[in-house]
This record gives sequence, structure tokens and C-alpha cells, in this order.
Amino acid sequence: MDKIKVLKKINRLAKEMGRDVNLMEVCGTHTQAISRCGIRKILPKNINLITGPGCPVCVTAQKDIDAIINLALNGIPVATYGDLLRVPGYFGSLDDAREKGAKVFDVYSIEDALKLEEKYSGLVFFGLGFETTTPMTAWAIKKAYQSGRQGLTVYSTHKLFLPAMKALLSLGEVKIDGFIDPGHVSVIIGEKPYEELNAAQVITGFEEEDVLIGIFMLLKQIKNNEKKVENQYIRVVKKDGNKSARKIIDEVFEIGDGNWRGFGVVPGSGLEIKKKYKKFDAKRKYKNILDKIDFSRSKDPTGCKCGEVIRGIMNSRGCPMFKKVCTPDNPVGPCMVSVEGACNNYFRESK
Amino acid sequence: MYNKKSKNIILDEGGGGYKSNELILDIRKIVKDTGKWKNTGDDGAVFKLPKDSRNLVFTTDAFIIDPIFFPGGDIGKIAMCGTINDIAVMGAKPIGISLSIVMEEGFSRKDFEKILKSINKVSREAGVPVVTGDTKVTEKGKIDKIEITTAGVGISQKIINNNGIKPGDYIISSGDLGEHTVALLAKRFNYQTKIKTDSKPFNKEIEKVGKYLNACKDPTRGGLAANLVEMAEKSKMKVILDEKTLPYKKEVVAVTELLGLDIFSLASEGRFITAVSPKNVEGTLKILKTFNSPVDGEAKIIGRASRPKNKKEIGVFLETELGGSRKIEISRGKLIPRIC
Repeated sequence: MDKIKVLKKINRLAKEMGRDVNLMEVCGTHTQAISRCGIRKILPKNINLITGPGCPVCVTAQKDIDAIINLALNGIPVATYGDLLRVPGYFGSLDDAREKGAKVFDVYSIEDALKLEEKYSGLVFFGLGFETTTPMTAWAIKKAYQSGRQGLTVYSTHKLFLPAMKALLSLGEVKIDGFIDPGHVSVIIGEKPYEELNAAQVITGFEEEDVLIGIFMLLKQIKNNEKKVENQYIRVVKKDGNKSARKIIDEVFEIGDGNWRGFGVVPGSGLEIKKKYKKFDAKRKYKNILDKIDFSRSKDPTGCKCGEVIRGIMNSRGCPMFKKVCTPDNPVGPCMVSVEGACNNYFRESK
Repeated sequence: MYNKKSKNIILDEGGGGYKSNELILDIRKIVKDTGKWKNTGDDGAVFKLPKDSRNLVFTTDAFIIDPIFFPGGDIGKIAMCGTINDIAVMGAKPIGISLSIVMEEGFSRKDFEKILKSINKVSREAGVPVVTGDTKVTEKGKIDKIEITTAGVGISQKIINNNGIKPGDYIISSGDLGEHTVALLAKRFNYQTKIKTDSKPFNKEIEKVGKYLNACKDPTRGGLAANLVEMAEKSKMKVILDEKTLPYKKEVVAVTELLGLDIFSLASEGRFITAVSPKNVEGTLKILKTFNSPVDGEAKIIGRASRPKNKKEIGVFLETELGGSRKIEISRGKLIPRIC
């Protein structure tokens, strides 16, 4: 289907439906794709795209950020993905810690962290992300375990995605007519898990055309009062997902409580390292340091509305600090830091 | 609290994004004097020869890369191409290069010779001799393997700046872009790809078409985004790129999607982007096409410049088929992976 035809069909459906329709995208890469292609600007006025909790850096709890910064300031080498380094915490950001002499590295993948550990013994990898990045972390832990080396440890803030979607629906703060389901997460988990949400959903790819077709499929469901899980991204997402990736996650991680910015603790949404692999668990290895941190000061930055933005109840533009105090150059909260964050994308879109 | 410049130099300042530009401005706040040399904000400085219609062009560049060997090239090739091209892009004929090498103790002699051979090869292909240089060896671990700095001098009849885009000019890319970065990444992450670095000296291309070019720049660090945006901003022009004629190969697009990178920020080391008046477009393309084959990706029109209606319109815009339009932005600095 060519893009212009799809857009015409969307326009027709939107007109027939007449009412406001809220669609939520729950993946940072979708947020980027939508902004990059200017999709919000070409959609009919009654179709609203709301950004949900899909940016891993953004949903990482302040407490976890302050914990890893403290480890770094205590002389422990730390590595993680680029964006996280700039997220401000109570004790500054990881970037600030590096300037003070802490050994902080940004890596492209956990493989890089494994290599770094050979040079910087005791290195902690700050693991973040959903089912997309978790298999790689699990793989690295298993590899380290098999090699018999006590090397890298992982501070896991890995999260399961579905519990957050459930939390959103049960909170009921924002009316969501349908979800643009995440493409990359779905590569791992497949189609089935989404069914229990009982909502209109389309697993969608990341090209302009993919997103438009996904929106069209969603509108059709909503108009017909259907609540199905459809898959637009068939060329990549298999019905059963990727079993071996799930297997390695199960092998290394167990389900615990996940701490989310915006939501707080969501039971059953976190992934902790299993006992068998406890040697590689930074939370265990550095317990004495972590226990001493005064987390009472570990609060979201004053005035920052990232929590509300993540839950979809506030548009970035509605935040009083947006573009005035808070910019990608001087971000107050993580949604402005991360290239997958809502505020960062809205900022770039508005330029 | 939020509006601070950090006390120490941060990595982003070396990434080629706008943080690097800020750093250069900071340098110039302290090191101000340029004597009779003019620096127009291009990659090299210009000295008008007394009693002569010609100009000297002088430039320098430092090279640290990881890995030092990659598909289609190595640090030596890049160091030569970088400087030769920086001179060429200003419309000058490079006449001599200096070569300074810093190595750490323990660096493999075999690798060293391999690098020297590739430096020699570029020198011969481009017809630009290496005329002087320096070497230092540091204790192991003081630097990472090897650093190379080259400087070069060229002579020009007509200087081409990067701020000369005129309304109505066509924007031409001398070949497909981004393959240098992709080759490096593929090597780093062990991807199987046919993509090789695009690095090569392009001084002979410019020698042939220089007279037609209103503005020119090589999209090295920072890629098309940083470099074309800089050209547009300095020329105070609006440049519109067409989604359908973007100069990127399918494999390059695939790798950027896989890694979640901004395709417009990928570097090339053997290509230039240039602005050409409508009457000279055909001639320019015809000549350039003799240098890059369709397999390499031959020269083509990628966009057009027009007079902006207001300040907001100054810059580079990508128009999509659906009539969506997006402003191309200079990346912050380093490349960030996709994690969702």
C-alpha cells in the first residue's frame, strides 16, 4: 500500500468516526519515528497520538540512577548506554561523576562492557531496558558465568513491558482507545502476551509507512468495537516471538518488583538476577555501599513533570519548564535527555 | 543550576556536533590572532600571495580511530584523505603534506608498515607528496595504539567557501554517503556487510569541476546533517532534500536501522557536497560521474536551495512524499544506540 493511499483511508475513517480517538505509542523508537516523519502534523485533528512509557532511560527510577552514580563516586567503574549518562540525579549525573574522576563509560552494547571489564576490574554494567535489551544482558552474565571469571557485575533495572501497559489501563487516568504496540519488544515476546490487556492493539514497524498502516488498522478495530491484537510488522515479528531469547532471560533473571519513574513500584514488572548468578549481581556485591546511600533525597527534580509525561496524562508541551528551563542541552528530567524520550522528541519537532 | 558549562572537557565536544563548534569558538576567544591569514570558518586558512592572483590554503587534522584497520582502509588512509580533501574542498590544489605519528610502545611494526604503505598509496594516487613529519613513541598505555596528525598546503586560483550557496542552486553529492562510518561499525560489531569505507582523495574531482562550484564541503565528522546544515546556515539559505533521492545505499540504511542511528550523521571520507547554479548542473554531474561508478553510487542531485522567508526557514529540510517536512538537525555529539 502506498503511503498516500493509507493516509487517505485514515482521513476517511477519522471523519466517519467523528469523535476524538486517543492512540498511545509505547516504544521510544516509535516516538522517534513519529516525530521524525512529522506524522502528528499530517493526521486528522481528531486522532491524537499520546506518548506512553516506552523510553527505557525515562522510566528508570530516580533511586536507581542515584544508586549507580553513588557506586561510580565510590570508585567502582561503571558502564551503560550513552543517554543514561546525562540523566540528572540528586548527586549529579554520571557524566558529572566522570568529570570528578569516576570511571564512567558509555558503551554501545554489553559486549563492549565485557571488554572494558578486562581493563577495569569490578566494572558494573547498569542494565536497563525492556525485553529488547534484556536478552543481551542475560547472555553476557551467562557467558561470564561459563568462563568462570568473576568479572563484570550487573545492576539490573531491566523491566517487563506488559505490566506497565496494564498499570496504565487500570489507573484509568487517560482514555486510551488503542495501543501502537512496540515492534522490537514484540520481536521477543510475540503476539500472545498482549491479549490479556483486552484492548485494541497493533504491533507496528518503524518506517513511516508502517506507522501509518498501524494507525489505520487500529482505527478500523476501534470503529468496529474490536479488541484484537493485530500484527502489522509481520516481516520481523513472529507470532511466538523469539523463544531462545525468552529462554535465556528466564535462565538468568527472575521476576521481581520493578521501580518505574511515574508509576512507582509496579509488582511483577522488574527483573532481578537469579541466585545461581548472584556473583554477577551488583546489588548483592556492593550491598554495603548501596545500603549507606540516603535515598530520602532521591526525588524527581523539582518541578519536573516527567512522571506525568510518562503516564501520558501530560503532553510535554504542557510542562511549564518545557523549552524554557528544560532543553536537550540542559535537561531537567530524563524525558528531555533521551533521544527516545517524549520531551526530547517534541522539542526537536517544534524547532 | 542547569545552565552550566562543565568544568572539564566532555566527550561530546569531540564528536563533531554543535558541541565541537562551541569548543572551537572557545579556543578562538583566547587564541585570537590569525595574522594575514584569513579563516572564513572553512576547514583551512587562506593566505593571499603578494603580487600574485593565487592563494595559499593551509589545514591540519588529527586522527584517532578505533579500529585502526577496517574494511577498505586504515588510519593512514584516512589521515591522508582527510587533509588532502580539506584542501581540495576549498578549491585548492594540494602540494605537500606533513605527517606526524605518535605511537605507544609495543605497537606492532607490521601494522606500522601496513599503515605507511597505505599512506604512500594515497600520496601517489592523489599526486600529493609527504614532505616533512615527526614521530614520537610514548610509554605503553599513554595513548591508544597510534595517533596521526597531518597538515597540508595547497594553492588556489579561486577559493571555494562553504557559505556560498545561492538561491536556486542545486545541491549535489559526489557519491553515496555514510559508508565510512558503517564500515567502521560493521568491523566493531562483527556485522557481515559488503560496505567498505568510502575514503579516497577527491582532489582530482575538484580540480575538474571546481570552476562550477558555488560552495563545497566534505561531510566527514557529523555527516550530511552537520555539514550541509552548516553550509545552509552560513549561506543563510533554505535547502530542501528530497526523500526519494537521498544518497544512501540500502545496506547503509539497514545498518542504521539495526543500530538505531541517525543516518544523516554518518561520516564519509571521500565525498563532497556542493552547490551548483542550474546552468552548470549538467556539466558538473557529467564530469563527476566519471569518478564514481554507479556501484560506488554516482554523483547526483540531492536537493535544492531557495531564499528563506524568515529566519526559521534557514537550514536543511527533508520533505517526505506525504508532504510532511522535518528540519535536519546537527547531532549533539556521539552516536547513541537505540535501546527500545
